[in-house]
Amino acid sequence: MSATEPVVDVVAVLDRAPAAEGRLRDALALLRANKVALLGLFLTAIFVLTGLAGAVILLTPGLHHLWEAQDLAIALQPPSGDHLLGTDQYGRDLLWRGIGGVGIAFLIGVGVTFLVLLIGLTLGSIAGYFGRKTDMAITGLIDLAWGFPLLLVAVVIAGMIGKGLKDVIIAVSVILWAGFARIVRAQVKTLAEREFVEAARMLGVPEWRILLRHMVPNVMGSVLVMASYYVAYTVITEAGFSFINLGAQPPTPSLGAMVAEGRNYWSVSVWPAIVPGTAIALIVLGLNSLGDGLRDIFDPRLRRW
Amino acid sequence: MLRFLVRRLAYAIVLLLIASVAIFYGLRVAPGDVTSAIVSVTGTQVLIDDVKEQLGLDKPLATQYFIFIKNVVTGDPGSSLVSGAKITDLIGDAGIKTLKLGVFGLILVYALAIPLGLMAAWWRNKPFDQGVRFLAVLGMGIPNFFLAVLLIQLFAVKLKWLPVAGPGGFKHTLLPAVVLAMESMAVNMRLMRSSTLEELSKDYIRTQRAKGLPGRRILFVHAFRNALVPVVALAGVTIPVVLGYTLIVEVIFRYEGLGFQLVQAITKRDYALAQTLALLFTAIVVFSNFLADAAHQLIDPRIRDRARAA
Repeated sequence: MSATEPVVDVVAVLDRAPAAEGRLRDALALLRANKVALLGLFLTAIFVLTGLAGAVILLTPGLHHLWEAQDLAIALQPPSGDHLLGTDQYGRDLLWRGIGGVGIAFLIGVGVTFLVLLIGLTLGSIAGYFGRKTDMAITGLIDLAWGFPLLLVAVVIAGMIGKGLKDVIIAVSVILWAGFARIVRAQVKTLAEREFVEAARMLGVPEWRILLRHMVPNVMGSVLVMASYYVAYTVITEAGFSFINLGAQPPTPSLGAMVAEGRNYWSVSVWPAIVPGTAIALIVLGLNSLGDGLRDIFDPRLRRW
Repeated sequence: MLRFLVRRLAYAIVLLLIASVAIFYGLRVAPGDVTSAIVSVTGTQVLIDDVKEQLGLDKPLATQYFIFIKNVVTGDPGSSLVSGAKITDLIGDAGIKTLKLGVFGLILVYALAIPLGLMAAWWRNKPFDQGVRFLAVLGMGIPNFFLAVLLIQLFAVKLKWLPVAGPGGFKHTLLPAVVLAMESMAVNMRLMRSSTLEELSKDYIRTQRAKGLPGRRILFVHAFRNALVPVVALAGVTIPVVLGYTLIVEVIFRYEGLGFQLVQAITKRDYALAQTLALLFTAIVVFSNFLADAAHQLIDPRIRDRARAA
């Protein structure tokens, strides 16, 4: 009997992803029992749908009149049948402008988070898995980026390239990837010493395959949790920046800029400030609650609280 | 411990140097320059060149960088390119205001977060705890600038208890400090609550209960001290976050501190002022991170021993 002929294809067995459907079913059951997470999921679902609608009306020139059309005769009106959330100082419809603003928040929040997630996941898992000099170099970069307040970086970048949404996007990306990378690196580092990785390595599974099929799926839970917090963080940062007039420039319907303009008309009508402000608060509340819920599901040690 | 501090300090200095290069070159590649703010549009090129020479903007970039660093290190970063005021005077003036605001904000963060978090854990799932959790959700959900708008409308415009904006004494600092503190307060309160809960579930607490130690003593003496460790560890993040928010809060309240000046300088392309202020902010952040790390070492013997072994 030749020793080189395995009875079972061990590599194939080891290489098969863990029972994904089972885990998903468990997660869904836990989600259903968690009221905070359900509320978060509900609000986030509304955010995503409104955001998609907003993206459509922002990116389709033929629909711009919805949020751009001015009519001074109906300026600063309270909610009515024609304008469900009232109008702003130029008589623009606040509901449509709000949807446009959520669209901006959605595009930037999700787009930037996806980008930093990719960078953070890649660098973090490489640093954690390979260790030594690669790890030192990447950890140095992480510490460098993570030490700075995001707003400071954003202000300096606004000084470099001028005001606009671009400076917010760059600043958030420059800082937040490090947050992902830190978490992923720490987790991969512990995982890399587990028996199943050693076994896979001994069986000759290539390194990149171990990384992709055994490391990455195992850290996806924390990555999802972080992602929902980071989308919220990006949305707040963009709004805050647009509020102090360093972010989106008019007539782009950024929620932060809308609050800033609307507060000037507070004595006449509170709606121009309240509508976008409440929208941001609900988006952030939803994403944070979803993040908390996901963390309870993916990190059972914390579930008791 | 000493070795750790020296290594950490060297790292902080390297970080500052890298940041200074990034800030300096970053602001120079910006389109448009300060001469357009000083010389009127009808000014000739000769005049523009003249102004550039006076300000030292005609020298090669690398030379300008070393002059900048030399000036900062020797404590004379020059004058604002726009207003002509000495930068050191500006920093002294604005610095005190920001220091007042920042310290007030941080006091609010910890004076509220620690006791509220601790008591919420003690009265877990009781109305008090639910109130605290609701406050935390609110604090993290409402963006600080929107909170500022709401508070100004309520306390300054409607009730007329406090001024709308501007620098000044306690009354002028109260609203900005509350807005500044809110989010970090919520985060730290939640952390304090969950870390107290974790401590209360540990074996040593059960032993103390079995020994008949009064509940008050267990909570305030034993659980409290250990529960504080994560909160102190987070201070390295909390301080920079609070400091970063001064940029937005000072602009909203027209509170003329460092953050307000930095945003102004950036908008007006006043490099000399902007780069000095940005570097100052960075230095404060790097230094407070260093302090938080050192404090963390001091109060957590587990880390202290690990550092000694290394």
